[in-house]
This record gives sequence, structure tokens and C-alpha cells, in this order.
Amino acid sequence: MLFSRRLMLGLAMAGSMAGALAVPALAGEGPTEIDLFFPVPVDGKLARDMGTLIKEFNETHPEVKATAVYTGSYDDTLIKTRASIKAGKPPAAVIMSANFLLDMQIENELTNLDSLIAADGSTKDKFLGQFFPALQGNAVIDRSVYGVPFHNSTPLLYINADKAKEAGLDPSKPPQTWAELTDWAKKLTKREGDKVTQWGIAIPCAYDYCGWMMETLTMTNGGRYYNEEFGGEVYYDTPSMLGALTWWNDLVSKHKVHPPGATPGPAVSTSFISGNAAMMMLSTGSLTYVRENAKFNYKVAFIPRNVRNAVPIGGASLIIPAGVEADKQKAAWTLIKWMTSPEKSAWWSRATGYFAPNMAAYKTPDMVEFLNKNPDAKTAVEQLDVAKPWFATYKTVPVRKNLEDEVMLVLNGKKQPKEALVAAQKAADETLKPYNAETSLKLP
Amino acid sequence: MKLIDKLYKDAPLATRNEITPKLGFLLTILLALAWLIPFLWMGVATLRPASDGINLMAELMPSLKPTLDNIKDAWEIGDFPRYFLNTTIICTGILLVQFVTITLAGFAFARLDFAGKTVIFYLFLMQLMLVPVLLIVPNLRLVAQLGLYDTLAGVMMPFFASAFGTFLMRQAFEAIPTELEDAALIDGASLIQRIRHIYIPLSIPSFSAFAIISVTSHWNDFLWPLMVINSPDKRPLTVGLSVFTATAEGTQAWGTIAAGTLMVIAPLLITFLIFQKRFISSFVTSGIK
Repeated sequence: MLFSRRLMLGLAMAGSMAGALAVPALAGEGPTEIDLFFPVPVDGKLARDMGTLIKEFNETHPEVKATAVYTGSYDDTLIKTRASIKAGKPPAAVIMSANFLLDMQIENELTNLDSLIAADGSTKDKFLGQFFPALQGNAVIDRSVYGVPFHNSTPLLYINADKAKEAGLDPSKPPQTWAELTDWAKKLTKREGDKVTQWGIAIPCAYDYCGWMMETLTMTNGGRYYNEEFGGEVYYDTPSMLGALTWWNDLVSKHKVHPPGATPGPAVSTSFISGNAAMMMLSTGSLTYVRENAKFNYKVAFIPRNVRNAVPIGGASLIIPAGVEADKQKAAWTLIKWMTSPEKSAWWSRATGYFAPNMAAYKTPDMVEFLNKNPDAKTAVEQLDVAKPWFATYKTVPVRKNLEDEVMLVLNGKKQPKEALVAAQKAADETLKPYNAETSLKLP
Repeated sequence: MKLIDKLYKDAPLATRNEITPKLGFLLTILLALAWLIPFLWMGVATLRPASDGINLMAELMPSLKPTLDNIKDAWEIGDFPRYFLNTTIICTGILLVQFVTITLAGFAFARLDFAGKTVIFYLFLMQLMLVPVLLIVPNLRLVAQLGLYDTLAGVMMPFFASAFGTFLMRQAFEAIPTELEDAALIDGASLIQRIRHIYIPLSIPSFSAFAIISVTSHWNDFLWPLMVINSPDKRPLTVGLSVFTATAEGTQAWGTIAAGTLMVIAPLLITFLIFQKRFISSFVTSGIK
């Protein structure tokens, strides 16, 4: 008998817990309750900033009650959003890595925002016109709007100005070409016998970052990485990508001015701050951190070119997942418009180091004052003139990893660039096959 | 030196003058040191002032001006008391239900005869080979259909039955001599009474071993609670902590991370130190031989 009492007790407990912990859904009356999923891409304190932002929104919009739900990294946020859509519980809005939008749209996981824009009496061109042109490529798919740029970045070249002066270089004239950069890196590398005590340059390579850096180098080498018009093609086995990877590999194994192996982003910024690396390529998103932690004079510059100046954008957009009910959609749209308005955009930019996608943000008095105090924040915005969309394909993440795995092998000295890129192309073509079978290879 | 003398006294007469046991002991000490280093670093990094800069971050030498700022920072970023409570509810809830399910299932596999017993048992064990990530979507869908999305009960649900626990209990119950059960049978004990008075008391070490494994694994689980929980006030420790450890583009405030990690593992660490003896012995004994 004891057992059955136990079991009943256990079940009763589980039941009562479920009852006590389940939140009853609000019916009709009161504010519309919505969830916003957000990753923290830069710094944990931002979770608090996000809380502040949403609190202010709720105070100024009594008809909506938004909750900010922290959802891990960019990749975790995608997993959680997809899982919640499949479970029939999609959040009303998500801050989503800008290059996941195409993949989600292909899988019918996004709400088309055109009708919401039209309902406001605005037009697509007018709405998108608020944002930097470089950001529109990742927000518009098949001439429809699917995302609203929220915080964005471009890669930058960070230079330790003190060490450059020490090496007889002029930090006010940063390297503009790969040849100059190689030369700088050689002059900035310090050796004791065979041991390197100071690296000339460090470029991050870990999942997510590695693909972004490869796109950066390929673009400055005249290349394209992927077909911007169609989600079924990437260009890994090309002269421009081969040149880019060979140059990166030469910095490591031929010139020995770049630390060997694949270094994750935080390790790169740590070694730059500690003086262990004299230059680094890293996101604008790290600018606030460098500004607060560097004990030396530093300089930020455009990414040097081999063929042309070009960079991909990074960062995230606000989206509404598919399957959100009409009233929540409306509430989410109100939240999205508020978050991407010039004032809020500017405030968030100052908190994070990302640039504000809304061009009017830079006309707000607070921002003008901030830029006068911190001219280094202008470089990323100026570089937007040469910025292009971030690669986005069917199954963006696996296709990206097909290349990243091979690049890591090259940087670890286990493969030559050419064979690595052939292997990456083959793997990516395989990953993209199902989509091509449904589109480009589906013949009448 | 006292320790060496004590060890010498405790050693069996035959091995007192042999070198091998002493080497083994030395190796144990080295391993223990290697295991301790991360914990030491965590403690040192937690108390290191930010003014020390990043260069000293990897040092094991404690700072001369220790500070509690990092702990304060970490404590302010998350609602830690609530996270502790949630994690505790999740771990205890899962464990209590698991005790019931693994005892009954373990007993069935150890002592009852039924058709297809072996096949079912192997199917049961196959669960151990599934990558948990595979089950996220189906599990989440089921949890949502049961109306338990964004509830702690929803986090616990998938773990109520445990393949590992069932296997462990089956092994423990099989080691118990059937004569004991037969004696109880003659006294007219019912099935439940036999489990309650013979099998459970004799398998306490296995139960405690399982409890330790279950609690530590669910205490540290991150991805599943992240999927189920939306409300900030229902977050377990791991999700709360990751707010300032999982950064993609920026940087890492090591002092804060160390402080947060310390807070998360402290209860487990303290529990382990208190129950150390029982913990070790639970893996080496099992009932009567």
C-alpha cells in the first residue's frame, strides 16, 4: 500500500507543481502580452540594458505588455525560435542574426511584413529608406520585407597605435592594402629566437566568426562568397576565395606573424588588449569593450583590400515568426517600430558599440555629442559605403560550417588551401542539394 | 609528514616497505592537484579586481587587493536566489519521480518474468544512445500540448523515466540473494512490501549514486530549460548564468564569469565535500556479496 501512496503523492506533487507553475492565459481584456526573444551578442550587462528598454516600452504603451526573454547565443536563439514555432508557441518578435532570415523564409518560418507596413499607410521604399542601404539586402527577400535592422556591425581593423609608433610606423596612415598590412604585421611581430613574443596580427576563426571573416577577405579580394539573388549557391572553390585563404594561411605559416591555429573571437580581443597582438580584425561590436579596456592608444581603420574595398554587414534584425496571432502581431509591430526608432536605435548603439541602422539616429543630439567624444565610432559608419549583405543561403549554418571546418584545418597546418576549398565546395553543394532539387534543378 | 606517518600506520603490514603503493599515492596527489587547478583559478579570478587588467587574468597567484566587486556584479545581473530555487525544484522534482519509476522498472527487469523481457530491456537501454538534442522538438511539442510550455513541470517531464537509473537498479536488485525475498514471501509479505523492506534498504548505495548523477546532470542542463522556459522568473541557474557567459561578438568579463560560475557550483561542491565518503563508497559497494 505504501507504494501506491508514494506514487499518488508523486503524481499529486507533479500535478500541483504544474498547476501552480502554469500561467493562466489572459482572456481578451487587459494588455496584449507578447514575448521578445533576444540573444546577448556582446556583453552580459546588455541583458540589463534590454530590460531597461522593454520596461520603458511597457510604461509608454499600456496596451502592450512585452517580456524580454534571453535566449543564449545567435545560434541558440535560432534553435529556440524554430522549436517554439514547431511546438505552436512562437514568440511575437525575435532579434535574429541577419543572415538567418533567408533560411527561415525558405522554411516558411517568417511573417511577411509588407501588409503591416501598408496598414500604417507607408510604402516599402519609404519604410526601408530610414535604414542604411547596405542593410537592406538581408532584410528584403523576393522584394518583400521580412526583417527590420536592429543593431549592425562591420568588421574593422584595430591597431595598437603605441606599438605601431614603436615600430617606426605611422598610425595616422593605417595600412590600406593586403601588401601594406603584411608589411605592418611583419614589422609589428617581435621574436626571441624562435619564440614569438608579440604577434603582428590576429584574425578570429571559430564557428560563426570564421565564415564572416572569410566573407570579408574574399570580398576585399573581389569575390562574392554566395549568390545574393538565390539561396542555392556558394562560391568556395573560386580564385578570389583561394587568394583570400592563401593570404591568411601565409600570415600564419609563411610569414609567421599571425598566431597558428583557429583562435576564437574573445581570445583575439583578449590578446589585443593585453598587447600580445598588435593588430586584429574584429567586429564593431567589440569597440565599446576595447574603448573601456585598452590601456594604450588604439586606432580603428577600414579592412585593407587586395582588389577592392568591401565588407559584409553583421548583427541582427527584428523579425515576427510565422503563426503569431493577429493581435500579437500588431503589438509586436508596435514594439519593433519603437525599438528601431532613431532615439532608441541611438541609445542601444551607445550601449553596445554596434552602429545604429536607422540613419536618423546619427542626427540626434546625444549621438552627435557622443561621436564628437568618440570619433572611433565613426569609422564603422563610414565603412558602410562599401558594405554589402551578409551571406544567407538555404541552411545558412550548415553551409557556413562546411567552409569553417576546412578553414580551421588549413590554419592548423593540416591541409593546403586549394584542397580545403575543393572539399568545402563539395560539402556545401551536398548541403544545398535539396533546395536546388526543388528550385534550379526542377525542370519542366 | 603526519599524513605520511598516518598512511604508513594504516597500510597493511605486508605492503609497508613496498614502493608501489607509495607511487600510487603520489600519482593520486598529482591527479588531485590537476583537478584542483581550475577551482583554484576560479576562486582567484573571482576575487581579482578589474584594475589588474587582462594580463593577470590567467595568473594563479591571488591578487594582493582582493575585492568582492565581481560577486556583487554577478549577483546584480541575475536574480540568483530565484534561479537557485528553480534549479532546486527541478532537480528534486525529477529525482523524486525518478526514484519511483526506476525502482519499479528495475525490479520488473530484475525479478519478473514476462514475454520479450530482454528485447524490451535492450530497447530501454537504446535511449542512452540518443543525442538529447534530437528529442528537443518532439519533446517540446508534447510539453506544449500538455499545456506545460514555460512551466517548471515542463522542464522536468522528459526526465521522469531514466534508462540509466533503470539499468543501475536492475543490476543492484539482481545482486540481492533471492533467499531473502523467499523468506519474506513465507512470512506473507506482498510484492510492494518485499520491494519496500528488502530491495530498497539493501540498494541504498545504488540509490545515492544515482541521486548524485541525476542531480548533477540536471543541475548543469542548459539547452532543454532554455527551450521550455520563457519567463525570466522561471529560469534555472544555468540559463541565468549564460546571460553573461555566452557572448558571440564581444568579449568576456572573466572576473564576473568566474564569480557567477562559483555561485552556481557552490551548492554542488559543498554537498560533495560533505557526502564525499558516501559518494565514493556508493560506487564500490552494492548490497551483500
